[in-house]
Amino acid sequence: MSTDTQEEDQGGGVSFEDRYGVTPAEADHDTLLRMIEDMFTEGLKTQLEPFPETDREFSKLLDDLRELDVNDLRQKLIISGWKLSPHGEDEMRCQECMYFLVHKRWCDLPELDLPAEPEWWCRLWRI
Amino acid sequence: MANLLWLQGGACSGNTMSFLNAEEPSACDLVTDFGINVLWQPSLGLELGDNVKSILEKCISGEIQLDIFVFEGTVINAPDGTGEWNRFCGEPMKNWVKKLCDAAQYVVAIGDCATWGGIPATAPNPSDSEGLQFLKRAKGGALGENFVSKSGLPVINIPGCPAHPDWVTQILVAVASGRGGDLTLDEFQRPKTFFSSFTQTGCTRNMHFAYKVSTTAFGQRKGCLFYDLGCRGPMTHSPCNRILWNRQSSKTRAGMPCLGCTEPEFPFFDLAPGTVFKTQTVMGVPKDLPTGVDKKGYMKLTAAAKNASPAWAEEDIFVV
Ligand code: SF4
Ligand code: SF4
Ligand code: SF4
Repeated sequence: MSTDTQEEDQGGGVSFEDRYGVTPAEADHDTLLRMIEDMFTEGLKTQLEPFPETDREFSKLLDDLRELDVNDLRQKLIISGWKLSPHGEDEMRCQECMYFLVHKRWCDLPELDLPAEPEWWCRLWRI
Repeated sequence: MANLLWLQGGACSGNTMSFLNAEEPSACDLVTDFGINVLWQPSLGLELGDNVKSILEKCISGEIQLDIFVFEGTVINAPDGTGEWNRFCGEPMKNWVKKLCDAAQYVVAIGDCATWGGIPATAPNPSDSEGLQFLKRAKGGALGENFVSKSGLPVINIPGCPAHPDWVTQILVAVASGRGGDLTLDEFQRPKTFFSSFTQTGCTRNMHFAYKVSTTAFGQRKGCLFYDLGCRGPMTHSPCNRILWNRQSSKTRAGMPCLGCTEPEFPFFDLAPGTVFKTQTVMGVPKDLPTGVDKKGYMKLTAAAKNASPAWAEEDIFVV
């Protein structure tokens, strides 16, 4: 589904490699974190709704994520509804999510597999 | 000497295969050390055709004392309640089952199919299958709610898909050696000695359950299988992590979720796509929480446990 240009594009037509010297697949924890934060600072909007209420809906999002190129970080964040703050009335956040490794500060959901911070959230959250 | 007769209805023979793998005691020990005389068994019996029929008739008439009648597989009622889809020795199996159960001192149902219908009785249940005294969670089944065998006990249910071989042989020995009266059964007529604890009891992943670290792929050493892969260990009554399979392992030790095969609802959610090997959630919270835990308590516990979890809980460690 992604073209070669999209894979490398971190937004604004500049490739990840040009800007950070590495692609997302090669990047270490800190660089990935920077890539994510920079995209949000530069106005990235992700798809926060609808929250997958059933397992079918949840699996559908996973299927969409599986189809992405490993370097298509932008779409990964958009599809998963990534957000750099807690979400909703219940203040849902990575800290309580089943996929969050608190010590590694990492989202262990294989389809995401990205650095995450305790106060962040995405719509694949589950407890 | 206790005479044992074993028949199969709507079944895959998995429980016979499991039984033949028993080790403590083994199927041979039953005969040589515990005085069980196997009148006939589908995989062991030498007789064929009319000779089998003659054994059944003699058991029913009392000419041969039938001490233990073991049934594996569902009682098939299709089509239209006749049971003709499963004929055996010249008549529907369901008729033999009824007559033999009335003649037997003890009746033992082995495996989910015989206990509560199991996979064959899953919707739309084309063979109109049921268990001996249950259909899923509902009492009744082929023999009716009030059935008791000559010993005064209802059907002894040893569920599982298949049942662990040692659950089978140990119960058969208890009955054959005159200790059947000591058996205490739970509300689903399962021997309490095996089915009071949970699959989770003795699971090597308990610490990961406590610290809320998830296994996210089959066979992973890290984590607990409850959160993502649908492990039913905390809600399933079985001794699978106390009496190990092949004496050395269990599903959860091998990185495979418990499917809850000793419970009447198995297979859960009628095997709808996406329900197997996946924790069912509503708005991100598991639909089925561990027995005795409510949603509010679960959420509080999760927050506290994640905060307190040590770094090693996130490492890939040996849990076998
Ligand atoms: S799945 Fe979403 S909420 Fe959960 S840890 Fe990953 S990013 Fe955070
Ligand atoms: S793997 Fe299953 S049985 Fe083991 S601790 Fe986790 S939920 Fe319980
Ligand atoms: S671990 Fe669960 S599914 Fe497996 S045999 Fe035991 S009770 Fe059945």
